[in-house]
Amino acid sequence: MLRLPSFRLEQPDTLPQALALLDQAGPEAAVLAGGTDLLPNMKHELRRPSVVIALSRVKGLTGIAEAADGAIEIGAMTPLAEVAQSALVARALPALAQAAALVAGPQLRQRGTLGGNVLLDTRCQYVNQSHFWRSALGFCLKKDGTVCHVVAGGSRCVAAASADTVPALMTLGAVLEVARHDRTRQLPIDAFFVADGIVNRRLEPTELLTRVRVPRPAAGHRGAYGKLRERGSIDFPLLGVAARLDLSEAGVVEHADLVLTSLAAAPRRVAGAADALRGSAPGHAPAEFETAVRRVAELARRQCRPLPNLPGDHEWRGEMVPVYARRTLLAAAAGQGPVHHV
Amino acid sequence: MGARDRHGIDPPWGEFRHVGQGSTKIDGLAKATGAALYADDLSLPLMLHAKTLRSPHPHARLRAIDSGAALALPGVHAVITGRDLPVRYGILPWSQDETALAVDKVRFVGDPVAAVAAVDEDTANEALKRIRVDYELLHPFLDPRESLARGDPPIHEDRKEGNVSKKVELAFGDVDSAFAGAAVVIEGDYDFHGTTHAAIEPHCVLARYGPDGVLTLWSSTQITHYVHRALSRVLGLPPHRIRVIQPCLGGAFGGKSDPFSLEFCASLLAIRTARPVKMLYTREEVFYAHRGRHPMQMRYRTAAGPDGRLAAVDARILIDGGAYSSYGLVTTYYSGQLLTGPYHFPAYRFESTRVFTNKPPCGPKRGHGSVQPRFAFEVQLDRLAERLGLDPFELRRRNLLGADATTVNGQRVTSNGFARCLERVEEASGWRQRRGRLPRGRGLGMAGSMYISGTNYPIYPNPMPQSGIQLKLDRSGLVTVFSGGNDIGQGTNTIVRCLVAEELGLQLEQVRVVAADTDLCPVDLGAYSSRGTFMIGNAVLDACRKLRGTLVSAVAESWGVDPRRVRFVDGAVVDLEDPGRSLPTADAFQLAEARFDTLGATGSYNTPSLGGDYRGGTIGASPAYSFTAHVVEVTVDEETGRITCERAWIAHDCGRALNPVLVAGQMEGSAYMGLAEALVEEHEVNRFGLHRGPSLLDYRLPTSVDTPELHSLIVESLDPEGPYGAKEAGEGPLHPAIPALSNAVFDAVGIRLQHLPFTPGKVLKALRAAAAERRPAVAAVSGT
Amino acid sequence: MLVRGLRRKIGVILQLQVNGDVHEVDVPDHWTLLEVLRYRLGLTGSKQGCDKGDCGACTVLLDGQPAISCLVLAREAEGRSVLTIEGLAPRHVAAGGCGVDPVQAAFDASGALQCGFCQSGMILSAWALLARNPRPRPEEVRAALAGNLCRCTGYTQIFDAVARLATAGAATAPETSPEAVRD
Repeated sequence: MLRLPSFRLEQPDTLPQALALLDQAGPEAAVLAGGTDLLPNMKHELRRPSVVIALSRVKGLTGIAEAADGAIEIGAMTPLAEVAQSALVARALPALAQAAALVAGPQLRQRGTLGGNVLLDTRCQYVNQSHFWRSALGFCLKKDGTVCHVVAGGSRCVAAASADTVPALMTLGAVLEVARHDRTRQLPIDAFFVADGIVNRRLEPTELLTRVRVPRPAAGHRGAYGKLRERGSIDFPLLGVAARLDLSEAGVVEHADLVLTSLAAAPRRVAGAADALRGSAPGHAPAEFETAVRRVAELARRQCRPLPNLPGDHEWRGEMVPVYARRTLLAAAAGQGPVHHV
Repeated sequence: MGARDRHGIDPPWGEFRHVGQGSTKIDGLAKATGAALYADDLSLPLMLHAKTLRSPHPHARLRAIDSGAALALPGVHAVITGRDLPVRYGILPWSQDETALAVDKVRFVGDPVAAVAAVDEDTANEALKRIRVDYELLHPFLDPRESLARGDPPIHEDRKEGNVSKKVELAFGDVDSAFAGAAVVIEGDYDFHGTTHAAIEPHCVLARYGPDGVLTLWSSTQITHYVHRALSRVLGLPPHRIRVIQPCLGGAFGGKSDPFSLEFCASLLAIRTARPVKMLYTREEVFYAHRGRHPMQMRYRTAAGPDGRLAAVDARILIDGGAYSSYGLVTTYYSGQLLTGPYHFPAYRFESTRVFTNKPPCGPKRGHGSVQPRFAFEVQLDRLAERLGLDPFELRRRNLLGADATTVNGQRVTSNGFARCLERVEEASGWRQRRGRLPRGRGLGMAGSMYISGTNYPIYPNPMPQSGIQLKLDRSGLVTVFSGGNDIGQGTNTIVRCLVAEELGLQLEQVRVVAADTDLCPVDLGAYSSRGTFMIGNAVLDACRKLRGTLVSAVAESWGVDPRRVRFVDGAVVDLEDPGRSLPTADAFQLAEARFDTLGATGSYNTPSLGGDYRGGTIGASPAYSFTAHVVEVTVDEETGRITCERAWIAHDCGRALNPVLVAGQMEGSAYMGLAEALVEEHEVNRFGLHRGPSLLDYRLPTSVDTPELHSLIVESLDPEGPYGAKEAGEGPLHPAIPALSNAVFDAVGIRLQHLPFTPGKVLKALRAAAAERRPAVAAVSGT
Repeated sequence: MLVRGLRRKIGVILQLQVNGDVHEVDVPDHWTLLEVLRYRLGLTGSKQGCDKGDCGACTVLLDGQPAISCLVLAREAEGRSVLTIEGLAPRHVAAGGCGVDPVQAAFDASGALQCGFCQSGMILSAWALLARNPRPRPEEVRAALAGNLCRCTGYTQIFDAVARLATAGAATAPETSPEAVRD
């Protein structure tokens, strides 16, 4: 059996304990928040932490609650299955519910957590392989090497951001609550990701993501998630699309957003999408709305050029960008989704 | 074939009590409760764990190996390299080109180089990292066309034909004249990509070398007997000092039908350390062990008369064999020899060339060597039907080979239920009402096929039986059957139990099966070429019939009645003319034992002399052929290019269905596997010479939500030589799935998919190319 | 405690509650639950197919929920209830039943057990589904089993097995709720 490298396991019971442990261990530590990404990566020796800090016993990190201001707060250790099945999330944040329901397969959604998914490591066909495989190829920028196998001569890692829930959270304007032993900070999720495949998250080694706070969208909020993958289960996204439409009482789009993932090292917001969609009225003038949607799909196509960083046909992934952009927006407008082939 | 190899199709006691009933499996509850023991479930006191060091280079010469630092690591008990196991082996006697560990060269990324035994897996892994290997890199061959074009540097140095592994050219009838005079000729190029078995159980062995000098190897193999022979050869141990046992096996599909490196390495390490040694492959290593379906580049020409009657078939096939020969010689023959049914054609020529490349070695996967040509040929037929304006069913009906026929290449076909298979899928799918009338984007396609029930040629030529059975009757009324057969999940042991119970009039629980243990069981050649039910079944009937007379006469004598009045049924013996008189089986056994002797019998099966009178004419010759027809229904999303297989109807002629539940399971599993190969699975080596994704994440097996509705329709043409008329069901039903899918896509959206796998990207390109033409359907045919 | 000359420290004794029994085991921190079940407790019914969470053969129930035990550290399972395939039949008998659990019997009767290697995990996923939903619709069955790969059956006879139980309804489905698994 493929074995985990050895490490010391810490299982703190409280957040301060966890933060103190993290402060002591620093970059030597890995945080286990479900383990469905971390443990395979450790088996592949992509990470060899000397200390693993498991958060499963830490109290207060799970649960979905409505704050006084109507915001929805989700503990970082809340299982993805719980996010997917929550009536509150489904009603208020449909794109997030849909995205969470499409992560991996049923068992991994029980084990995997929202925080873990947000912090999912970037993925690449030349990275997510065993140590033997990578040594045979020659190590790359992401881990232990100096070259890129995706882009010949490339000096920047282009491993793909692959978390399904992130684009949904970005359209929803989520705020990440990040704790360190000496302070807590609130970080808009938009400012959290950087286009660096080696580490695409702005999280210090001694910080923990503790909570995801999502402002309550207005009553006319519509959202949907589209996921492109080969199989109907288990697979990571080859493309993820989150769409948001906020309709006025009159049914006119007041605000819109479209965020894509699995293309590059950071998720990408389609520039100009909001402007193109604002003012259209899917219910009253569907043809005009569809024209606007097609315009946004075209913007998405132009702004996104997938690289061969993930397995499979990257040109096809590129062709699917406008298709999934359009379908996801239409699904959102119709109060439907997810956009998924099964 | 002697008289004892034919047992007729009739029930032994007037009516079948077990055959056809679909009883549960002999090991079903053991598997359902977790009690069944697979190779990695076994452990022994003092057991060491072994790991393999593998080549990181696709092609290189080994200059030196330094394992000193590994041996020095505490907990490491032994390190072996190619020098310790230099004797070559290979499944076929004519192409012994493998060694357990590389001796002078490595030939693909993953080729085994050294093995370590240590106290635990972590220590063994740590030791591997301390072995230093000095390689001299050689040019890697990743494209079979390059291997065909040049033999330098040679992948195998002692071959006469450069990097060609095997070439077969055979012609039957006057092919050129037939083409010259044909009303229609369809030509096409077809690509079949590589796929692998991906049984969920990784390969695993446990070896023990006892103080008595006997080596025992528990191995996840589907060919116990050949592993036994290969171990003896490579280790230099006489075979009587080797015992090979196959524990419960977690799937194989042909992927465990070669001797593998781990079997030799664990054995030698057990000998060297005097401790039991286990070796379990990681999933990645299973992909390197491979022996999966050969990629083939095929060019077909099909000639027909104006009425659609086939006149000739001409094929040229380039086969990518990977780094070693494995079953490649047979594959090369099969690529041509197994195409000659279920349709008759009077002239046929094929030229098949297998070449070596620096990739994991290919071998036999379910439907060995014939799934690829069948794909190409059945699409050719669909195009022919289209060209002639014939319904695809009608075209096939005009070309039926029929029963009791001889194929163009000299194979004897006896029972043949193909016409009935066509009827069943045509009816069940609503073909006549629906085909061509579905909305655009939705379509139906069909295809047919034929497959062997074992072959008459054992892997090493010998005059002995292919299958042996031994029965031991106990005073308790229990019959223990010793069978060499490998039950790999397909249910061989369940069939053995069923047949013994039927023959001796027992309840199923009165039969125990001991199988696949070379110390205890007579030889059966193994679970390959769909030979199990046919050959082991016949051996069982042979053994049982030797005992029946003894048992009946003992009872008849005791009762003082005519033996014809004695019937064994459901665990009892009854007097047909006196309903008041009966005995439990146990009493009958005791009477017979007292009257005659300790009760036991052996039985065997060997094939008749079969095949064409030419070199290679026996390869593909089978005592019985199975037949299959599929209809597949698809939807095609023309915007994404994604094909969804909605449902498939599978009609399969398996002769008599001894256990219809098992037959249906084989049919459904086969269809699933074929459709998966067509749509999502791809065993591919990337431009760097590495397997592109040796994991079950990147090699994608369809999940429960990806699998279509599968409808199995069993057709029973009672075969004159099969046990009670049975034939194979394990491999044949896979074949039509892939061409039927391609043909359904044509019906749905008017494009011809001839290059596997049918990825959405390729579909989109084909749709665009078709849209660029004014009349897409016609263009697709003439444009190839 | 460190012993000179040994590479790894000897871990703290771990208490695992498996199939209602409490086991004390001494394993290093990096051992997974699957490794402890198979190689320390002799519970080899949970299988290993892919090494890293891709196949579902190692599925066990952790507090009643299907979990991939090759991606659960053994120590993380401490204090939780683990149910493996070996525990189903004894559990059924202890609850007054006879023979094997109805889910196991249905898989056997439907021909769902070909090589059997994936089926411990598959049966446990099905069992958990039926525990929370005794009459699942076909699409619910497919969705619940979508993390367990089977290579033999094409899933059809597995669906048949679950459908057999779903048709029979609560009468033969597992009578316990997921919570009740916490013995």
